[in-house]
Amino acid sequence: MIGADAPVTIGWENVSRVEGGPIRRFVFTWFQPFALFALLAFWYYAPNSIAKPSTAIGIGIGFKALLLGLEWVNPRFASWRLTWKEFTTDLFFVGLGYTILRLVDSYIGSDAVAKLILDHFHWEKLAWFTTLPLLVQAFLIAFMFDFVQYWMHRGMHNWYPLWLTHAPHHYITQLNINKGAVGNPVELFLIGLGVGGFFDFLPRAFLLAGVFGLTIGIYQHINVRFNTPRLWRFLFNTTEHHSLHHSQDYEATRSNYSGTFIFIDRMFGTCVDGEAELLGMEGGRRMSIREQMTFPFTEAWKAMREKLGRPVAAEPVSAVPAE
Amino acid sequence: MNLRFIDWIWHVRGALPVPEGQSGGEALARLEPLFHQMGTSHMRGDDVLEFSKTDPASQDPMAVFDAGTLRIEQGQQGLLLRYRLKSKTLLFCLLAPLLFLAFAQLTIWSGAGEKPKDAAAQAKKAEKPDALPPMNPVDKFLGAPAPEKPKDGEGGGRRGRKPSPTPSYVFAGIFAVLYVVGRILEDRLVRRLFRKALAAE
Repeated sequence: MIGADAPVTIGWENVSRVEGGPIRRFVFTWFQPFALFALLAFWYYAPNSIAKPSTAIGIGIGFKALLLGLEWVNPRFASWRLTWKEFTTDLFFVGLGYTILRLVDSYIGSDAVAKLILDHFHWEKLAWFTTLPLLVQAFLIAFMFDFVQYWMHRGMHNWYPLWLTHAPHHYITQLNINKGAVGNPVELFLIGLGVGGFFDFLPRAFLLAGVFGLTIGIYQHINVRFNTPRLWRFLFNTTEHHSLHHSQDYEATRSNYSGTFIFIDRMFGTCVDGEAELLGMEGGRRMSIREQMTFPFTEAWKAMREKLGRPVAAEPVSAVPAE
Repeated sequence: MNLRFIDWIWHVRGALPVPEGQSGGEALARLEPLFHQMGTSHMRGDDVLEFSKTDPASQDPMAVFDAGTLRIEQGQQGLLLRYRLKSKTLLFCLLAPLLFLAFAQLTIWSGAGEKPKDAAAQAKKAEKPDALPPMNPVDKFLGAPAPEKPKDGEGGGRRGRKPSPTPSYVFAGIFAVLYVVGRILEDRLVRRLFRKALAAE
């Protein structure tokens, strides 16, 4: 039963609203749709000279800085306030994503594998995708990525070897803008796998697809109180949905697996509307960076030894398995 | 090697006057609730309090410190609270730039090994026709700019983009700055925390 292990709030009618004057309420109601449409319009009409990945990286960093400011101005929970230690730790994982993981990805990531296969077989029959309207191409890229991510994520919560890679991410005890990057690098690699690399899309479509991640998926991990519009929260993932997924309540964690489009969860019956403040595992034990790095391997070693029948030294159970 | 000359990197030291009329025991009793946190163990003597933390929660106001000693001493103008706190996070932050510089070097080495392959790929690419797909009528009607053939490395797609060492250099710089900020900020914050606890009614 949901809420049996830790307090959670179920149902939109029970979720707190933005407090303050009319301007504050207006801003924190319409900020999310405004940012989505503004950035879609920007990438749709930007001249070719500026419609390139380096601009997207700049906009991404600027937008994250703005959201960090919003966390400061209108936090969802005081207990999720960003501290120097949290910021530094989060940024370390963000740094891994921009550097060593990108390097590894360029050799063995899904795009590299797709490139290898496409180069070998010359499968250019899928090139008709590039003749679709730009926004359709963009939506297809984002949807395909999120659909694969949904099943990968759901798999992580249901199959022990995959869970070991994902468990460290569930030891975070608060949501902040960079928390999406916190986790074991093996998981960060797995969650980045997609099938988009097999299809040809116009470069501008990729930039437009990135907008869905930047202006929707990013709110999974954010400490900002929004009055999220009804249609938005029906279609898209929100920090409310994702806080339930990260809650200390076991049943609640088995919901809301999609990254961007919560309607995928609605399609497969795994969506739960609501929110939670108390997050994490083992009553809120925060995992150190060192343990985040080694956890899947040490736990896998313990599990293997157990399976092979050798007794393991008595230790407290360090993680609730997914099954 | 005497670590006393460099251990300020990961240690925060300080002293605060104990408010007049408070005994050493009273002062430590006021500070003690700060150590009633998840993952924190502490031992209190007559004039000393020692603590250590394992995986403290993010919400712990002293989460940045792993261990420390708080001692009540007799100063010239009354009692003093002298503290010495150890932070592995500060040390980690100072060393993080070295890790990112190593990543930069690794990226350069991996790129250097790829050059001949890239030249071969470019030659192969040149054989391909330059034709671009026709623009969809919907996009034409809405006025989106017509696509151009992307220059090498400028494609919007992720495929074929080569990693650059620049992000590693940027993160090395960020962590160097973060260390300075953290060393000053956490020193001030813990001082304020102790002062408030001592002054609390």
